[in-house]
Amino acid sequence: MMTDGWSWFVIILVTLNILAMVWLLLATSKSKGADEADTTGHTWDGIKEYNNPLPRWWLWLFVITIVFSVVYLYLYPGMGSFKGSLDWTQSSQYEQEVALNRAKQDAYFAEFADLSISELAENDKAMATGRRLFLNNCATCHGSNGQGAKGFPNLRDDDWLYGDSPQTIVQTLNNGRAGLMPDLGLPNSSVAILARYVQGLAGQEVTEHVQQKGKSLFAVCTSCHGPEGKGNQALGAPNLTDNIWLYGSTAQEIEVILANGVQGNMPSFNTLLSQNEIKLLAAYVVSLGGG
Amino acid sequence: MKHETIEKNTGLMGVLIALVISVAGFAEIVPLMFQAQTTQPMEGIEPFPALQLAGRDVYVKEGCYNCHSQMVRPFVSESLRYGPPVEAGETVYGRPFQWGSKRTGPDLARVGGRYTDEWHLAHLINPRDLVPESNMPGYPWLLDKYVDGELVERKMRTLKWLGHPYSDAQIDEAASVTEGASEMEALIAYLQYLGLANNGRRQQ
Repeated sequence: MMTDGWSWFVIILVTLNILAMVWLLLATSKSKGADEADTTGHTWDGIKEYNNPLPRWWLWLFVITIVFSVVYLYLYPGMGSFKGSLDWTQSSQYEQEVALNRAKQDAYFAEFADLSISELAENDKAMATGRRLFLNNCATCHGSNGQGAKGFPNLRDDDWLYGDSPQTIVQTLNNGRAGLMPDLGLPNSSVAILARYVQGLAGQEVTEHVQQKGKSLFAVCTSCHGPEGKGNQALGAPNLTDNIWLYGSTAQEIEVILANGVQGNMPSFNTLLSQNEIKLLAAYVVSLGGG
Repeated sequence: MKHETIEKNTGLMGVLIALVISVAGFAEIVPLMFQAQTTQPMEGIEPFPALQLAGRDVYVKEGCYNCHSQMVRPFVSESLRYGPPVEAGETVYGRPFQWGSKRTGPDLARVGGRYTDEWHLAHLINPRDLVPESNMPGYPWLLDKYVDGELVERKMRTLKWLGHPYSDAQIDEAASVTEGASEMEALIAYLQYLGLANNGRRQQ
């Protein structure tokens, strides 16, 4: 809050300013009588400059602005720390708008309260809202159609790191996910073989040598990806056999992951969105059709 | 005083003009420079750590402020998208502040923690890899440019002299903390730091 000294500084300055404007208006608007043609003494080629008072309409505009300022300063905060007779503040107006918006949202979401997530996914009105929420909050990583990007999962395919049940999706949205593929510390030669072996798991052709050497190297991967490389949704370890690649399918891309490890991170949204919105978003993700 | 007197004395007219146009400044701006609300940090607001400070300079150097504001205004629509409104006490360590007024891209005041470091890296190299509709330019060269640790240290000394409460330990380790970091790392550290101190629950 403003200290008294500064408050008076503002009050005195503003008051003096308004009084000066009033004086200026009065001083310059004195009528000089209808016929009196006072000139400034300037002449150019015989043309003289009149020294007339302001036109009436102009004068009245000034009067109106002064009256407006006095009324304004009485109603609203402006005169130092005087709060104004309306007690208006920026933050209270903001809070009112927030409360109003919250009430509108609650009323809107009430009609979806009794529907399950799978039912919501079939509901056009709910999905129109779901799409808007998705575009505002999810599309930056998962793409505007949920198609994903390298390192950011596609939500339309059938590959799910953590599972596709509505409850799992709600959990993912609420708490986020932190996936960790560790750096395996393998020598480069082993990394090259293992990368090609992983390609082989997904159905690409690999040499006999890679098959044999890779199988023993893959032992270290089984604790997360499973003995057959089918992944583990409890850990978020991807299925390596479905030929769907989060970080690319070339040997080079896989080698980078094996050599350096990788962290997947989905932020949590429970502090950003209400549970109503999260439920609708989960339904929207279900409606994208990934099975 | 007749206006003839003023009009025929250029010096007097100059003084009076300066007086008239500075009245609003004296009443509206000058008092703000002495209000705790605008000059004291909000609770939890600290001056930028060394790497973030270096990243802030990258942000300014690359002209990010030309398209991104850092000022969530007090409207519901803003809060729904970005979070609670930005208050003056949050930006007291911005020299100069990066409020901005141009939003070709989204507001960044509360972007810290919204995305992962990996997202920022991929997005700064080529935004369209992640957001095909984006018209933001890529900044791949930031990977090849490195922060000058000694400069960061000197900058922190200057800021301390200007009143930023850095500890001696912070300043002494500034060079070693930032030396060798790419400008990309510094910029991402800066972005991830934005708004964290007041990034509470968004208004519904």
